[in-house]
Amino acid sequence: MSNQSHDFYQEFEVFSRKSDTAPMQYQFSLLAPNHEIALVMAQENFMRRESVADIWVVKRSDIRKMTQEERETLKRLDNKDYRMTKGYGYLKKKWRKFEQKMLDEKEILSWGGGGKQ
Amino acid sequence: MGLIGMNQLTEEEKYEHFMKRIEAGEKIEADDWMPEEYRMALIKLISMHGISEIMGALPEKEWVPRAPSLRRKLGIMAKVQDEMGHGQLLLRVAEDLIKPLGKTREDLIQDLFSGRLKFHNVFHMPAPSWGDAGLIGWLVDGAAIITQTNMLNASYGPYARALKRICAEEVFHAQHGEAIIMALAEGSEQQREMLQDAINRWWESLLMFFGPDKAERTGSSKQDITIKYKIRTKTNEELRQDFFNKYIPRIKSLGLTVPDETMYYDEEQEKWIYQQPDWNKLKQIMKNQGPKSEERLKLRMTAYETNAWVREALGVKSKAM
Repeated sequence: MSNQSHDFYQEFEVFSRKSDTAPMQYQFSLLAPNHEIALVMAQENFMRRESVADIWVVKRSDIRKMTQEERETLKRLDNKDYRMTKGYGYLKKKWRKFEQKMLDEKEILSWGGGGKQ
Repeated sequence: MGLIGMNQLTEEEKYEHFMKRIEAGEKIEADDWMPEEYRMALIKLISMHGISEIMGALPEKEWVPRAPSLRRKLGIMAKVQDEMGHGQLLLRVAEDLIKPLGKTREDLIQDLFSGRLKFHNVFHMPAPSWGDAGLIGWLVDGAAIITQTNMLNASYGPYARALKRICAEEVFHAQHGEAIIMALAEGSEQQREMLQDAINRWWESLLMFFGPDKAERTGSSKQDITIKYKIRTKTNEELRQDFFNKYIPRIKSLGLTVPDETMYYDEEQEKWIYQQPDWNKLKQIMKNQGPKSEERLKLRMTAYETNAWVREALGVKSKAM
């Protein structure tokens, strides 16, 4: 049958976000003959229940994925304290001495007033 | 591995590196190097799992038009749709594994029709009453949850990710089944009988669902390979015992029985002692000679052929562009 030839279906990768402020999240892949059908399939396959604010489908052939070797070079040494708040945790004790609370991440991100979006 | 390319390694070194990765809990991805034995075991397991989801929707869909209320109809329709969705997910995982072999979804479907690709034993069985519809959700999906959660940490990344989605929905399936059997269990004498009949009818199939404890019973078993490669952790028998531990007390609490009077829990061995099912029946099913094998395969074949024009029509735009 002609439509079952190897080039009829193409691989699409599906991304979606739960709400307007949520990051795009990878969902899974699917087969479809074109972008329009891929979008319909994405909704049917992966978003039957959860709330969803936006869906993207991307042809897999348009994505430059990392190879196994490249992924293996991503492994990090656990020596980046100086870049992270956990490297500065001792300040909590210091501020206590001056009778002040530490302005930690939770505190600072609450300053917008709106709380969780 | 650092910056050393995989292609500079010998086959043995690649294998060693692969085993080190899975022992460290790393996930293998579709395009990564993998031993042939691993690829073939995954293909067999995942294509069977995927096609079983689709074949499994067939006995349940028989109950969509006959559901006893609108709410029950909506519930079972949602479940049938989920099963088809799970089939889509899993076939996708299988397709990426068969791609280097030059095969596609079409080959998987043709393998199903020719009998090379098997589907799960439980889906070769009839579901003659509403009790069966409830029991499939409660105990068949319950058994599936036991085997699938055992693979949530599978070394193959795409399968582990698919199972994560699937298991989350299986929780709904199990509760959907429980809602049906609970209504029957608390219903009239006739409804309780219907439920007990369904248990009696499905018991042997449920035992066989987990596969034989040893290969001699049916002639083959892939459990050693899947454990070696950290696709799963528990043996068939361990999974069956987990199933007994979870469900036997629940069956009994509803005043129902299993059709094995000799079955008991041995405190010393910490396991259930039970009558083996007739494994010859499983061998028959593996040859697509179960009670409903032919009928359901025929249904799938007819749907595939008569709906070919739909697939063709959906693709029209991509051809025009």
